[in-house]
Amino acid sequence: MTANTTDTGRRGGADRGRTGLLLLTSVILAGCEGQQSALAPSGEDARVLGNLFWVMLGGAVILWLLVNGLFFYVTRINRAALSRRFANGLIVGGGVIFPTIVLGGLLTYGLSIMPDQRAPGDGLTLRVTGEQWWWRVEYWPEGAETPIVAANEIRLPAGERSEIRLDSARVIHSFWIPSLGGKMDMFPGRETRMSLKPEVAGRWRGQCAEFCGASHALMAFEVVAMPPDDFNAWLQAQAAPATSPTTDAARRGARIFAREGCGACHAVRGTGARGAVGPDLTHVGSRLSLGAGTLTTTLADFERWIAHTGAIKPEVEMPGYGHLGAAELADLAQYLKGLE
Amino acid sequence: MRRVMQTLMVLAVLGAVAGGAVVGFGLFNVSARVGHLPGVSWVLHTTFRNSVRLRASRRDDMPDLADPSLIELGARHYDAACRTCHGAPGETPSATIAAMVPAPPMIATAVADWQPHELHWIVSNGVKMSGMPHWPATRDDDVWPVVAFLVSVQDGMPGDDYAALTDLPAPRAPGDYCLGCHGQGGSDHVPPLEQQSAAYLEMSLRAYLDGTRSSGIMAHAVSEVPAETLGGLAQWFADRPAEGGVLPDMPAERIAEGRALAQAATGDRDVPACQACHGPDASETSELFPDLGRLPAPYLRTQLTLWRDGKRGGGPRADLMRKAAQHLSDSDIEALAAFYATLPPQDGK
Repeated sequence: MTANTTDTGRRGGADRGRTGLLLLTSVILAGCEGQQSALAPSGEDARVLGNLFWVMLGGAVILWLLVNGLFFYVTRINRAALSRRFANGLIVGGGVIFPTIVLGGLLTYGLSIMPDQRAPGDGLTLRVTGEQWWWRVEYWPEGAETPIVAANEIRLPAGERSEIRLDSARVIHSFWIPSLGGKMDMFPGRETRMSLKPEVAGRWRGQCAEFCGASHALMAFEVVAMPPDDFNAWLQAQAAPATSPTTDAARRGARIFAREGCGACHAVRGTGARGAVGPDLTHVGSRLSLGAGTLTTTLADFERWIAHTGAIKPEVEMPGYGHLGAAELADLAQYLKGLE
Repeated sequence: MRRVMQTLMVLAVLGAVAGGAVVGFGLFNVSARVGHLPGVSWVLHTTFRNSVRLRASRRDDMPDLADPSLIELGARHYDAACRTCHGAPGETPSATIAAMVPAPPMIATAVADWQPHELHWIVSNGVKMSGMPHWPATRDDDVWPVVAFLVSVQDGMPGDDYAALTDLPAPRAPGDYCLGCHGQGGSDHVPPLEQQSAAYLEMSLRAYLDGTRSSGIMAHAVSEVPAETLGGLAQWFADRPAEGGVLPDMPAERIAEGRALAQAATGDRDVPACQACHGPDASETSELFPDLGRLPAPYLRTQLTLWRDGKRGGGPRADLMRKAAQHLSDSDIEALAAFYATLPPQDGK
């Protein structure tokens, strides 16, 4: 009886272990797919990096097989003493010449793809500034005098190479869209650059890749590549001032926005709100995420965010407006959601 | 050795029993009339003096103690909070106060041979078992006005000057007591109140009352007023016509710098536009945001510094201002104070 229980228990444990392992494997494998994976490339640069990864991995596997094959050969298959001449040849050939050729080849290949990673863009320039913890984004179409300001979302024309200039406000961040290309650090007071060429239209996710403070993990952004015509239409819409609120609730919300002084930090172009401390909200209603990839832009999430900023995003600069009533928060959400 | 230990144990037990009896049966005579045994007063007083000298250190936030508006503010607070025990300059103690043990020294004696930073320590910390209370606020930079006044008493302030300095308007209306400091456009360290909305004033009074806004001076003042009359008091001030203080003399480039900062025209991405909540030209802002126009520059400077350093509270919206001020530099504060001190108050309360 006792033995039986123990046995079942042990088997249960083994089952759980196996299930856990399966789960873990599938979770890890799932990481290779989807919106934020260097192994599922959708940009020219990411594809080159992906190829580099597979070539390096292939090289590593072959070398591993050769080395371990050799061990297996001398310990299991042919245990006899090797001739001195053969042993010397093996050491010089397998220990010096062969690795030099293989590693030299891989290094040459690896280095050869580096210049292309810094290819200049062919039209649009983006300036992205890392803030704690969000992304200030400016679009500079060719020949533009003033930028079109947005935030927390990167849109690119598919099939074109866009220049991206990076800097940071306070601490070091790193700009990374794994599906489109490599990452590049962002330094306060020093501009770095990169360029990206999405091969197809699609939607991915980027993430700050350098620990930058309490809410580093919540500093993400959505990335959208659009056919060039769609992109130009979108950019033109972004350049336009905010639309006036159309419903009573949204109008009340606009008054609350002014009354509570939201314009001290946020700009809504076409209104009195001119602040530059936080994200430009002129078209926030049409964005894909809120709080830099943290929440969605549903009415409920707008309300949640405004009332509980610090609980959702630790140490965030924006104060929470929990002192507003539920009806006021709802009106404010209607106004912001309407800023499309 | 063993015998010694046993003797010590017995003595310890006897001592504990004796001590317990003193406390439990009330054997110690607490009569102030009987007073202390010979020598005890000397021990206590010497301990007090040495303890203050050990703990009071020179502070780098000491303002100019000869500033007349600082002295007046200190004198008025002293008159309301401390005079009962320590008397006015030239005054003799009342019979009741003189019968206290220890008897509080009259002001001229009390302040003799203390350095300003030692006076600051005593007023801020109070003195245990002597009846001297500590400063009724967590913040203690606002102890300096009292120290400024005490130093001028050391310098021999006559009773007539004191009377003129602490004169109150004849009591006719609920806010007359407040007008002692806040009347006639306030002073360098005290804001005029007439330009603020009743809602803002009441919120501030309640914040002083519950300690969310820290000030030893205002904590005392607000506790002198029945809590249920605070709303009416706020309304009384809001209904008064503004007296229009004197336009302070500020360097033009400082003012321009402050204006640019307040209107977010400097490209500074750390400082929110003050203008969005405090004007100028901000229509429809919450009546809970104060109008900063013509507030005295030293007062603005102190408040902005407190906000920046996280020492200032207020109503439920205090966090907005705390976050807004957290990246201000000293020179930003200087510029903003110059700008708002010279800006006319807005009309809409």
